[in-house]
Amino acid sequence: MSTTLPTLPGRPRPAQILSAALAETRLRLTNISRYPGQLLMEIIIPIVFAAMPILLGQATGGDQAAANFARNTGTANYVAYLLIGSNVFTIVSNAFWHIAYWLRFEQETGTLESVYLTPTSTLTLAGGVALYSVVRGLAAALLAYLLGCLIFQVNPLQGDVLLALGFVAAGLLPIYGLALLFGAVVLKVKESNALVNLMQWAVSFLMGLFYPVAALPPLLRAVALLFPPTWLTNGVRSALLGVGYFFGAWYLDMAVLWVFMLFAPLFGFWVFNRVERGIQRNEGVGQF
Amino acid sequence: MTPSTASPRPLAGPAAFFSTLAAMAWKELLIMLRYPVEFVASFGQVFLIVTSLTLAGLMFAAPGERSTGVSNTAGLVVYGFILFMFLGDTLWTIGYNVRRDQKQGTLEMLYLSPASKFANLLSRVIITLVWTGALCVMAAFLMSALIGRLPAHNLPLAALLLVLSLSGTFGTGFAFAAVTLRLKEAAQTLANLFQFGVMVLCAPFFPFAALPEVLRWVARLLPPAYAVDMFRSTLLGYPTGYPELAPPAVGLAVVAAYGLLMPVLGYWLYRREENLARRAGTLSEY
Repeated sequence: MSTTLPTLPGRPRPAQILSAALAETRLRLTNISRYPGQLLMEIIIPIVFAAMPILLGQATGGDQAAANFARNTGTANYVAYLLIGSNVFTIVSNAFWHIAYWLRFEQETGTLESVYLTPTSTLTLAGGVALYSVVRGLAAALLAYLLGCLIFQVNPLQGDVLLALGFVAAGLLPIYGLALLFGAVVLKVKESNALVNLMQWAVSFLMGLFYPVAALPPLLRAVALLFPPTWLTNGVRSALLGVGYFFGAWYLDMAVLWVFMLFAPLFGFWVFNRVERGIQRNEGVGQF
Repeated sequence: MTPSTASPRPLAGPAAFFSTLAAMAWKELLIMLRYPVEFVASFGQVFLIVTSLTLAGLMFAAPGERSTGVSNTAGLVVYGFILFMFLGDTLWTIGYNVRRDQKQGTLEMLYLSPASKFANLLSRVIITLVWTGALCVMAAFLMSALIGRLPAHNLPLAALLLVLSLSGTFGTGFAFAAVTLRLKEAAQTLANLFQFGVMVLCAPFFPFAALPEVLRWVARLLPPAYAVDMFRSTLLGYPTGYPELAPPAVGLAVVAAYGLLMPVLGYWLYRREENLARRAGTLSEY
């Protein structure tokens, strides 16, 4: 009787990498489908969130609310403007939390160390989580935007919808590149709820959640322009509402997002890899 | 040596109660002090939310009015935010933390000890007062430094209204703790829904005038809405149209009733659910 020795795992082929990433995506989607209440809240939250400044503005601005808003931002359609802000906020928040808490969850349940022992890299799995996060975040944001426009009785499909979707698509990769940085923070700091929460708000503040970045002081404005979400938000608002591109033309703003698309994921990967290697060498993987 | 079979003598009397309360509050404070990053991050978050909403409000002001309207808009947002913060934190630190004890398995242990159950709930109130209070004070100071002095009229009356509002809010927290014992994990979703309901119906970030008429009538049925209305109207110096839900005397009476009755009602509900859970043996189920 002969026994077959198990073969050592080699470097996975591209098809296997894709399969592992998609399996991770399916796992997450199946898991979240068990919590319909949570999914419903994701649609309600951006609407309620945008409703705050809408109602505040209507009350303080009175009959002149739309005209004043147009003078300050470039569009009288403040409902769509604020809904776009709150929905981009949803996408950005989802990206940060999903990546950060996927790692935290693996740490807490004790499976992170096992993940490091498989031939599948964490970046492959992070890619699967990112795909899940994109599906969940985009679906929630799109539904919240349409429902919000319906509730506040404005036309959601004005302007160049395809171009707006193009800005969203171009902005996603840099956002997930940034999300990897938050993943690195979780690996390093462990219990980092508060920090991730703060950073999510800091990015939202800088991207002009409910106002144009021109309203910020010059130094903060310069910092804001270094964040991809700022260009995404303004790109979508300009495509749909005509508030004006930073560089005057859509393709120039889009080009900036493409530059971010190249550098943000690389920078995210680099930082993530460094932190990952550091904690592997210093007994940090199994500690939480 | 024979082990004693006598049951522990219950801790009775004011001295025992305050000693238990102090020990429990100190334990909670100690845990809080171990996470300074969390405190700084929470503060930063509060500041960013308030600033974002204030900037959003300013987008609706005519260019000439921006400097004069800024303090009133900021005042409206900041004062509403203070009460919203307390209500939100109360739901989680008093109400939902009962769930944490349940999950950790310490709730049943606590009930086997002779310590006062009320002191246990009250110790969480102290944490909310210290933590959330510090956040609110710092946020208000920072906002004043950035955009100028916030309007602060009728301070003694505003302080009384704040005390009554917080008392009512803590009572709501006790009631929510009772709901948590009954609903278990689903209480988390309920807390979220409750918070968003408050955000709309109690209008902490905008005047009630902005609500549709139907929702304004619903708001008139909610005592916390009167607390928000009276507290910010008083500090803003009753500008035209404020308070919005009722005349000041009526608003004050509603807030007083809320502040005095809600803690009693909330605690009664909590004891009732707790007794039911003990009899049904579900105190440690989660």
